[in-house]
Amino acid sequence: MTALLEIRDLAVSVDGKTILDEFELVVGAGEVHAVMGPNGSGKSTLAYVLAGREGYQVTRGTIRFLGRDLLTLEPEERAAAGLFLAMQYPVEIPGVANMYFLRQAMNAIRKARGEPDISAADFMKRLRAQAELVGVPPELLKRDLNAGFSGGEKKRNEILQLLMLEPRLAVLDETDSGLDIDALRTVAEGVNRLRSPERAMLVITHYQRLLDYIVPDRVHVLVDGRIRRSGGKELALELEAEGYAAFQPKPAEPATAAA
Amino acid sequence: MPTARAVEPVPELLELWATSRAYLPGKGPVPGLRDAAFAAFREVGFPTTRAEAWKYTNVVPWVNRPLRLPPRDVPGTDRITAWFAGGVKARRLIFVNGHLLPELAHVGGLPGGVTVRGLGRLLQEEPDRVADALAELDEPRGLTALNTAFASAGAWIELQDGAALDEPLQLLFLTTATADSVLCNLRNVVRLGRAARLHLIETHVALGDAKPLSNVVSQVRLGEGAELRQDRVEIGAAPAALIERSRTVIAAGGRLCRTVATLGYGLSRHEQGVRIVGAGAEALLNGVFTPTGKEHVDTQIRVEHAAPSCHSNQFYKGVVDGRSHAVFAGKILVERAAQKTDAYQSNNNLLLSDEAEIDSKPELEIYADDVKCSHGATIGELDPAALFYLRSRGLPAALARSLLIFGWAEEVLERMADEATRLQARRAFLARLPGGAVLGEP
Ligand SMILES: Nc1ncnc2c1ncn2[C@@H]1O[C@H](COP(=O)(O)OP(=O)(O)OP(=O)(O)O)[C@@H](O)[C@H]1O
Ligand SMILES: [Mg+2]
Repeated sequence: MTALLEIRDLAVSVDGKTILDEFELVVGAGEVHAVMGPNGSGKSTLAYVLAGREGYQVTRGTIRFLGRDLLTLEPEERAAAGLFLAMQYPVEIPGVANMYFLRQAMNAIRKARGEPDISAADFMKRLRAQAELVGVPPELLKRDLNAGFSGGEKKRNEILQLLMLEPRLAVLDETDSGLDIDALRTVAEGVNRLRSPERAMLVITHYQRLLDYIVPDRVHVLVDGRIRRSGGKELALELEAEGYAAFQPKPAEPATAAA
Repeated sequence: MPTARAVEPVPELLELWATSRAYLPGKGPVPGLRDAAFAAFREVGFPTTRAEAWKYTNVVPWVNRPLRLPPRDVPGTDRITAWFAGGVKARRLIFVNGHLLPELAHVGGLPGGVTVRGLGRLLQEEPDRVADALAELDEPRGLTALNTAFASAGAWIELQDGAALDEPLQLLFLTTATADSVLCNLRNVVRLGRAARLHLIETHVALGDAKPLSNVVSQVRLGEGAELRQDRVEIGAAPAALIERSRTVIAAGGRLCRTVATLGYGLSRHEQGVRIVGAGAEALLNGVFTPTGKEHVDTQIRVEHAAPSCHSNQFYKGVVDGRSHAVFAGKILVERAAQKTDAYQSNNNLLLSDEAEIDSKPELEIYADDVKCSHGATIGELDPAALFYLRSRGLPAALARSLLIFGWAEEVLERMADEATRLQARRAFLARLPGGAVLGEP
């Protein structure tokens, strides 16, 4: 089985400061991986580098996605290739209706893949079904994208986009934070529907709770820009009980040697 | 000679006056008024950039050139109907190249107390009333004086106390490809009596490569508790120039809500004076200007609060691209009597090109002590985080940019009361954005 995502010896810096270093991660098709780590450890940085955000400089290493060199692709090309990032802080876009935007995004991706536009009727049918599934009310679809949405509404809306765009790799950056317990369950159900042998997920979270619903195949502990330990789903429970203290780099170890 | 003396008109304009003077409509006091206006125009001349209000707009090349009065031209009706707005029941006056087309007017069967007429006929039939109205704007301004001297068309709209027009009234001003060097002097008079209500749509369109000059003067009066909603689009080809000066006086409890979208014209200059003379009145002035290429847009607003407990808000946005130049000067004047005034102004701009220029000048002048006033102007670029968000969803960079720009302007466009006008504005704006056609109709 070829890996869907393969990150090798990655070093990333922002404004000249090394954030990720010697970072390795391989995600196979059909797998769900969780990345956990303290604040500032570099989780969102990983997500942004995958999605191609400007200002995140890859100073070393490679990322292959479905056999392609991901780092040569523009953000929109990554989306067309099947990558989706549910952001920790979705951006508010005033003046652009949520529903309209979603249709533009779908059609842009279809166009990039040489597929015809989705018909208005098909789009609406699918949108209604998926919106109901993740608990996005119709009026939220008509409102401007994320503008004035509550924290939870933004997160649900990210998952709605995820379900509509059906990517091969979904990266969820703290989709659970800001969600009440019922919303968490709804969102997790939505995500689980997308699980399939040809898709993979990278779930970034602080809490074991989400992983009760989206059960991961692998859990990675990211501390200070490096994966310090990887294991099965039990690792998340261990973290919940003991925190990250055990994973802090020892003072003797030069943590940013490669910078 | 006074130092601020403006530019001497070219001889062709003097000749134009001499040859056309006798044929302009209006009896009684009107010819004398025209003569006086032209004399005033000769005295004052065209404004130069030395005048504060014209500091950033060199209007001389646009106005001081050989111009002619408009010949009649009736374009195919399809070219006209494309610009209809206000819904199927809307009333309408259509002006092509500065002439009213009476055969295409739709102002029959108006409710009682509502008068909608072309100024040309009225000048002949009721010259005294029109002369009184024309004399209302007596400040010595070159372009206004020129307008008074030549004015032969425009809309005369009068609503008696308590009268209301439930359907919108559209004034469609169109210039065609044959209108090169044509001088359209349009004069509009809008008078709303006590508690009268009107929804006015002004559609300015310049077609083709002609280089006409529309010199418009509008005088608006809102009686006590009167309500005027005004939607205005300016969709003009690059060589055309549209200069308008409007003066609006609002009595107690009156309410003005005006939204302007400038989506073209090589030169668009809009000077709005609003004077609030009675308590509890409101003036909302919304606008978006979107110059690109070498277009020049100049908005000059002056809101005068002369009565207590009134509210005004200037909400203007700019999208400034290419090698264009945008000017916004918004002033709030609060007189001593105008206690408890709430007056706001904002002008936020997206500057999209290194070669474009924006001059934004907010100004407050306050003589009352118990007021809430604020103003602010910003000039910024597109938010990179927003751009990334859209691109990460698959939208190509150019499209993502256009969508963000559209969203920026939409905050103003959505304030238009008439849906058809809003759609026209959106469509015209999208057509000016890279990849905008793909964006379709949001
Ligand atoms: N523009 C920047 N300049 C300097 N440092 C930055 C910049 N952007 C991010 N960082 C730093 O990079 C580190 C990693 O940030 P990142 O957002 O990836 O952390 P995170 O693991 O997602 O944290 P959280 O759990 O709080 O979301 C932090 O120390 C942060 O301050
Ligand atoms: Mg983060």
